[in-house]
Formats: sequence, structure tokens, C-alpha cells
Amino acid sequence: MTQLTFNYCPVDGYQFQEGEAKCSFCGLDRNAIKEILTNSTACEEQKKAPWRKLLWIKQDYPDNYVDKTFLGELQENVNVRTYDYWTVVKESTVISQHISSIMIFIAVFIYLYLEILSGPILITSGTVFTIIGYIFWDKSISKTDPSYEYKRWRTAKGFALFFAALLGLSPILKTLTRTISDDTIWALTVILFLANMLFHDYGSDNRTNIKFPGSLSTNAAIFASVLLASRFPPHTSNSLVSGLMSFAVEWFALFPIFRRYIKSLSSKFNIALTFLLFILAAILFMNISKAIVIIYILMITFITFVCPFWLIWIQKYKKEIHGPWDEARPKIQRR
Amino acid sequence: MPYNIAMVSDFFYPNMGGVESHLYQLSQRLIQRGHKVIIITHSYKDRTGVRYLTNGLKVYYVPHVVIYSEATLPTVYGFFPIFRNIVIREEINIVHGHQAFSSMCQEAILHARTMGMKACFTDHSLVGFADASSILMNKTSKFTLSDIDHVICVSHTSKENTVLRASLNPQMVSVIPNAIVASQFKPDPGAVDKNFITIVVASRMVYRKGIDLLVAIIPRICQTNPRVRFIIGGDGPKKIDLEQMREKYLLHDRVELLGPVRHHEIRNILTKGQIFLNTSLTEAFCMGILEAACCGLLVVSTKVGGVPEVLPRHMIIFASPEEDDLVNAVMRAIEMIVLEQVSPIKFHDEIKEMYSWVNVAERTEKVYNKIWELKTPPLLERLRLYYGCGIWAGKIFCIVMAVDYLLWRFLEWIFPEENIEIAPPFPYQKYIKICKMAEEENNNKNDNDSNNNSNNNDNDNDNNINNLDGFDDIDDIDDIDGIDDIDDIDNYNNSEEKGEEDNEYYKSKTRS
Repeated sequence: MTQLTFNYCPVDGYQFQEGEAKCSFCGLDRNAIKEILTNSTACEEQKKAPWRKLLWIKQDYPDNYVDKTFLGELQENVNVRTYDYWTVVKESTVISQHISSIMIFIAVFIYLYLEILSGPILITSGTVFTIIGYIFWDKSISKTDPSYEYKRWRTAKGFALFFAALLGLSPILKTLTRTISDDTIWALTVILFLANMLFHDYGSDNRTNIKFPGSLSTNAAIFASVLLASRFPPHTSNSLVSGLMSFAVEWFALFPIFRRYIKSLSSKFNIALTFLLFILAAILFMNISKAIVIIYILMITFITFVCPFWLIWIQKYKKEIHGPWDEARPKIQRR
Repeated sequence: MPYNIAMVSDFFYPNMGGVESHLYQLSQRLIQRGHKVIIITHSYKDRTGVRYLTNGLKVYYVPHVVIYSEATLPTVYGFFPIFRNIVIREEINIVHGHQAFSSMCQEAILHARTMGMKACFTDHSLVGFADASSILMNKTSKFTLSDIDHVICVSHTSKENTVLRASLNPQMVSVIPNAIVASQFKPDPGAVDKNFITIVVASRMVYRKGIDLLVAIIPRICQTNPRVRFIIGGDGPKKIDLEQMREKYLLHDRVELLGPVRHHEIRNILTKGQIFLNTSLTEAFCMGILEAACCGLLVVSTKVGGVPEVLPRHMIIFASPEEDDLVNAVMRAIEMIVLEQVSPIKFHDEIKEMYSWVNVAERTEKVYNKIWELKTPPLLERLRLYYGCGIWAGKIFCIVMAVDYLLWRFLEWIFPEENIEIAPPFPYQKYIKICKMAEEENNNKNDNDSNNNSNNNDNDNDNNINNLDGFDDIDDIDDIDGIDDIDDIDNYNNSEEKGEEDNEYYKSKTRS
């Protein structure tokens, strides 16, 4: 792949189309351009000593001489990975899972708002699922980190403290953004959920630490739920607010960890979870708006099946060039 | 034929670096070859207006906003009125820009082409293709170099890089290396401490210079060889890493960190060592290794960019940019020094033959001759060239250049060329004659009142001639770097008497 592909005819500047071999103005052969460019200066070169890529010797060639070896060290597309369609489809589940979970959260809010769902039920079911999830996580972490044992008590204490604080703060959270008009709240919520979606940490398999973009996305979602909590009617009880907030924390901070755990466990579980979330989101929205359900299904289909195809198709336009001018990557042994 | 050349770059003295000395040395040699050369750069703090350097080299320090590491804010049109004024005043016919990172140089090339002047460009560094900043950089290079008469690169690798970056015809690109003033880098065998093997490092302490590698290999080398010591000159953000390494491995007595080093002190540091170590990760030419070899040091360097082209194999040991390989290369170099397999002192005379600024000026002059023959394309043809830069970029560049053309017509109308006063050229020939006369007088005096033997006298003569030719320019440069103002330059101003006026005139022009 050392041949430099010329995009323009050097005689008249005609731009070659994709796959075109001859210039349509002057009929110049595209493959011959390189020879023409190099040979025009390198006539009678038989008698001369061969040109060398050195600066310290005086050579019998003009300064603008172009040797045959010119761009010889050019490498194209050395780091390019070729993707398999079904692998990419499987990998795309992380995105559809996250979108589904945002949809489910919004549906839960709407049910609370319409007073179909009550606060205590949400709190109870949320707690039960969190404890189940925690047991899973506990098992996985104690395998890798034996020093974890003594931290359990601390985690439980943290959980209790956090939940009590949330209960205590819920009257404040309920009225915190009450005075802001509905339109602003809806618009801001949309923006914040979009931010949550964009900055979510899809890539890492890390289940213990949270990186910066991950924390940004979590904060955006929590803030969005604070905004939403202020929209509950004044006569409703505070348990709605504390229910929604605790659900938000469980759903946006803890659930992604669980999803990563499932993904690392097996791809079958992962696909099953994706389906479960997808069906749940669709069913929950069925009562709210059929149009949203259709858009949602189309979007998930697009992300799962069309985007991987798109990615693989667009790969052929990839043109990476490497050569001796690149900044070298130093190799250092870490001690 | 003699040309009137304007060198344009953001980087010039009092700033320090390879481009700066390249500009100065090249301009000096071109003046000696009978051309008129001026340098246009941006103002450095209070250094604003016109200054004269050795041999009447005139420097315009144009007031401008500096944004990042001495590069000016790209305004596209902001520089045009004053640039036009300068080139008309100085009757410039060739504009020569230096360094792609300098937006002033890029703008000058565009405006010069709009005004129908010849333009050429020298690229001093390598730019990759991967990250966002280099993509932006390459797009601007492509824009400005779309319509250029000739490009000069400092090494063959740099040429390949530039051709790819700016989609140029490789025949339009010449390779003219940097050079060295060999008399400033004479070896000094007496300065070496025979009890040690001294390894010298002199570079800016930045990531691109591979300081991480240096930090990794110094403890290993010190551990295996107790006679080795390091002298490290240079300043920058990575210096702290070296200091930490020294603390951690308790190498205070063996690793000497000198901090910032001024250019004229480099030779005295180099001559203390036997081995020079360069760990750069990217380098278009690498002046450092050339200076070191010229001072009689065996060079160990990473094999990156244009480095393999610079020195013959017996002066340099290459290593890949990996810790183990570098350690091996340094060990081999130490062994060669200990067993006296190489005699680096002889390097100086060889280098003197290989690289000289006179040669560079000759070759640059050939480029000027070549572009002088070229026809300047009409506006429509130029727009076509810009249009080819990209689907969207091409259209934007066309608009930019069309506006540039309109701005030029407007400037022609509002500040007609007739109203711009032509600056009298510096009478270089006359100046040289006066200098020679003064010298002879001096020599006569020396002959009369000294009892020195003839040998000494000869030496004196040599020095004087060197001075005249500007070979010992290093003194001037130091002055420029210094805080006190330049005695030499003030003298020129006084002796020619038009310097002051010139300055005043220029200032009033810029104010109005």
C-alpha cells in the first residue's frame, strides 16, 4: 500500500472520481502520474550515484529531486479494526439498555404524577430490587477483593443514612423549584436526560470506580429528577418525592453497575436484560402515548440493527496514514 | 539578480529557538550575497518598531496580539494594511514565510499572493495527522500553500510530511537542511573531566522531547556504571519529573540539572561531556545533535523523524524510543568512549565541511531564481486552486481570498502606493568598505606598537575577518537576548543616522 493515490490530474487539475483510471480532460492515466512526477527530474540517472535519503552528503541531484523511494515509509490503515456485524449489534445493547432505562424512569414519574402508582409501593419495590442487586454485586466483589468483608457494615450504614436524609429532605426538594414554570421544567428535564444519555460511561467494564463523564451524567439525571419532583401536586404526600428520588439514585447510579455486571457475566443474560427493559418501557408507555411507543421502537431498531451496518459501511472511507514523521510513543517499563 | 526579500515569522529574537537562528543566519548570508533582506515579526514586549541588526539587517517588530507560545492571533485581514505598507516601503519582491505554527507567516503568504508577489515557505517541524489540533493545522497549511511558488523543508522526512499535509506536488518542495556556525561549536578537550564519563542532555523539558524516557533510563545507567554522570540543561514543565527521579534514587552528585541555558552557554556545557543524549519523540531536523557532534561528542539518539538523515553513522548511535533499547545504546556508547574506539574530536572538522550557512544561502538563492521565473497566476486561477481544498473548506477559502482581494483594492484606493515613502536601502557595500578601512587602520596600529610575533598577529587577523563576515555573530545575539539594549545596533543607527528617523517615521505611520 505504498502507492500514493492522486486525487487530481497534475496537467489540468481535473478531480478524479472514485475508481476512475483516466483524466477525462487530457486522458492521462492515473496510475502513471507517479512515474511522470518522478521521472521528469530523474532523467539520465543511470550514470549518477543513486540518491540517498541523507542530508550530510552533497549529492548530484537538485534540491527538489523526487526519488523513487519518496513516501516509501508511508503506511496506510495499520490500526484499523474490521468489525463483525453481530458483534457490533451485541455491543450496541449498552446504548439501547440505557435509553430504555431513561424511558422507564419517565414512565414511572408519569404514573406517580397521575397518582396511578403510590409512593410506598415504589419505595418498597425499589428497596427490594436494590438489596437483590447488592447481593449480586457483593458476591462478585468479594471474589476479586477479599478485604471487602469489613466494608459491608459501612455500606449498610451509608445506605440507611442516605435514605433517612432523603426522607428528611423531601419536603424541601418538593418545593425547591416549585416557582419555576412548567415549560422551563419540561425543557430542562429533556436537556438533562439528553446530557445523561450523551455522557453516560458506555465503554468501561469498571464496576467499582466512577469516572468523570459517568459522574456528570449521573448528576444530570439526579438533577432532572429533582426538577420533576417539584411538579407533584401540593396536596400529595412527601412519600412521592422521596420515592422518586430514591428510585432515581437506584436507577441512575446503581443500576448501570448491575448492567455492567450482567454484561460481564454472559452475553445471553445481557440480551435477555435488554429485551426485558425494552418490553417494560414499551408496555409502560402504551397507556401514556402510542406515538411515543412507535418512535421508541423505531429508534431502538435503528440503533441496534442499522447503526452497526452504517459503521461497517463507513469504515471503507477510513484513511489513516502513518510514517516516520509521527510522534513516537515511548515504551517505558512501569515499576 | 539581487532580490528584495522579506522574511516573515512570528518567531525571531529575542525569542530563542531553531527557527529564530535559522532566520538570522540565512538573512545574514543572503545580505552577504548582495540581496536586501528584511525580517517581519511581531513585537516582543516593549520591542516595537524598526531595529537594525548586524550588516544592516532590518527587523520590523509589528504590534500584534500574542495568543499562545509567541504565535500571534490569526486575524486573516488585520495584518494586511501594515504588511502592505512595509513591503511597498521596502520594495519587496519575494516574501519568505517560516514555520507553519506562525499565523503571521501564513497571513503574509496569502496577502503577498494577492498583491502579486512571489512567495515561498519554509517548514521547520513535523505535524501528525491524528489529533484535532493537527487536523486544523493541516487544513490551514493546505489553504495557504494552495497558491505558493515553492516550499522548502529542512529534511527529507519533513518534505514527505509537508507534501502529504498540504497536498503539494513534490517537485515544488526543496530540501535544504539547517546548518551550523562551526566556529561557535569548537571542541575543547581540556574541559572534559577524565575521571568520569559525562553524558550531556540539552533540550526543552517537554513531552515531545522524550523526557519520560530520560527519567526512566538515567537511574538504570547510573546503577550499572558508577563512573557515569549526567549534565542536563534546559527548562520546561517536565523538569520536575527529573528532579523527582534524582530525589528518589539519590543521584544528586551524579545528575546535574542546570535549568534554563542561554544559547551561547550551550557550547561550554557540551564540551564538558563525551556523549550527547537525545531522546526526542519527533524531530524534523534536530539542531541539538548537530551542535553536539560539532563540539566533538558521540551522539546517542532516538531514531525519529529526520534524525537519521542528519549525521553520518560513525558519529551517532541510534535507538528506538524504548527504554531497554536506549539503555543498550548508551551502554555501547560508553564502551566505545572507554575503549577509545571513536575519536569524536575529529567530528568538528567533518561537520564543518558538511553544513554551512553559506551553502544554505546558495541553495535558497537557487529557489528564489526558480520562483522568479514563474508566472503569477491570475485571480481566477488562484481561486480555482483554493477551491480544491475541500468540499466546504474550498468554498470558504474562496470567499476569504475574494474578500482579501477586495481589501487590497480598497487599500490601494485609500492609501495609494505613490503616497508611501520608499525606505533608502542599507548601503551594505559602503559599510563593508568602511569596516575594512577601520580594520586596516587597527592592524597597522597593532603592527606599529606591539612586539607580538607574527603568529599571534595572524590569529588576530583571522578573528577580525570572521567578525566582518558575521561569523562571530553569537555576540550580537547575546546582546539581543540581554535586558540592556543592544550597543551594536544603536551604533548602527547612529552611524547611518537614518535609523532614528526611520523608526520615527514608522511609528507615526502605524499611529495614523
